[in-house]
Amino acid sequence: MERMKALALLATVGPMDGPQDRSEPAARPLEAAKTGDLAAFELLMRQHERLVLMTALRLLGVLEDAQDASQEVFLRLYRNLNKVGASGDLSGWLYRVTVNVCHDAHRKRRVSTPVEDAAGLPALSADPQRTAIATERRRALEMSLRMLSEKERAVLVLRDLEGLSTEEVARVLGTTDATVRSQASKARLKVKDFLERYFRRRT
Amino acid sequence: MNCGDWEERIALHAGGDLPPAEAVKVGRHLRECAGCQVLASGLKQSLALLREAHHEPLAAAHFSAVRARVVAELAQERRPLWRRAWSYGLVAAAVALLVMLALRPGRTPERRTPVAAASHPPVVAVREPATPPQRSVARRKASRAPASQVVPDREPLIVKLQTDDPNVVIYWIADRKRGD
Repeated sequence: MERMKALALLATVGPMDGPQDRSEPAARPLEAAKTGDLAAFELLMRQHERLVLMTALRLLGVLEDAQDASQEVFLRLYRNLNKVGASGDLSGWLYRVTVNVCHDAHRKRRVSTPVEDAAGLPALSADPQRTAIATERRRALEMSLRMLSEKERAVLVLRDLEGLSTEEVARVLGTTDATVRSQASKARLKVKDFLERYFRRRT
Repeated sequence: MNCGDWEERIALHAGGDLPPAEAVKVGRHLRECAGCQVLASGLKQSLALLREAHHEPLAAAHFSAVRARVVAELAQERRPLWRRAWSYGLVAAAVALLVMLALRPGRTPERRTPVAAASHPPVVAVREPATPPQRSVARRKASRAPASQVVPDREPLIVKLQTDDPNVVIYWIADRKRGD
């Protein structure tokens, strides 16, 4: 029965997954979820899971940690459905809570093995040489993100990887456009310097 | 203007963050400055690498695992109150039982603190001269002097330690140092 309800809701909201969720076709499952409909909430998760898990993975660099953070984000969403509905900007709320949860997780993390983990994500190519190159590149990129401060990393992830505008990033992080620009430029320069040094040493 | 001053603007330019008028100025500088061209191309390249690496899709199983965990947690929270109360009651009963067992009378032997038994040094008789007692202040002080003054310096100190077992008593005998 629950599954049928989910499918019916799915038919009403159209395609899901990805940044296009920032438009709000999610209004109906959101309204249904507010009434305690767990199937509708599951549908809401499906619509926004990419946004939450990918952002968390980019911020934390470890898949298991990112999954824990995503779980926490969705539990917070469930407990704050009425507040989120009132604000009308579900994606902005999710980005903000994801960044906060990841910052908390980052501080709590005792032993970090981020580089190996992120590099160990399954590669799409079956060609071992391409896989090795992709893994190496991913490792370097992950290390370059590690060089950044929490705020610089959040700005880089939201602006350059998630594709939010400077104004949206400022709103999510509760800061000004000028600060976002300043942190974005610092972060880009640090990443570029790190990658150049890393690949120069390897060759 | 020093090229170092252009760094921040070139980094913003690489990410498309400059307003059009500023972007034109940066473009003009880049046409004239080879060093800044290298910087701009390095920035664009590293951003492209970053975007490419982070756009590899994750396996669907990673998303469904999160969903399953959230749904399970919410289902747990939404269990009927009586079922939750039953499990809480069971835990409370177990705790109460443990506390009762721990506090059961006669289980824990009474702890006795070691008692230092008074040592009984042999009394050394001090012979007083036959002269009649003088009621001087100095004399009164002398008569109130503690017994240790009459105990010889080498007298051992005896400490009696009582254990939990009334049949076992430990005596600790130590030599006094001169001047103790």
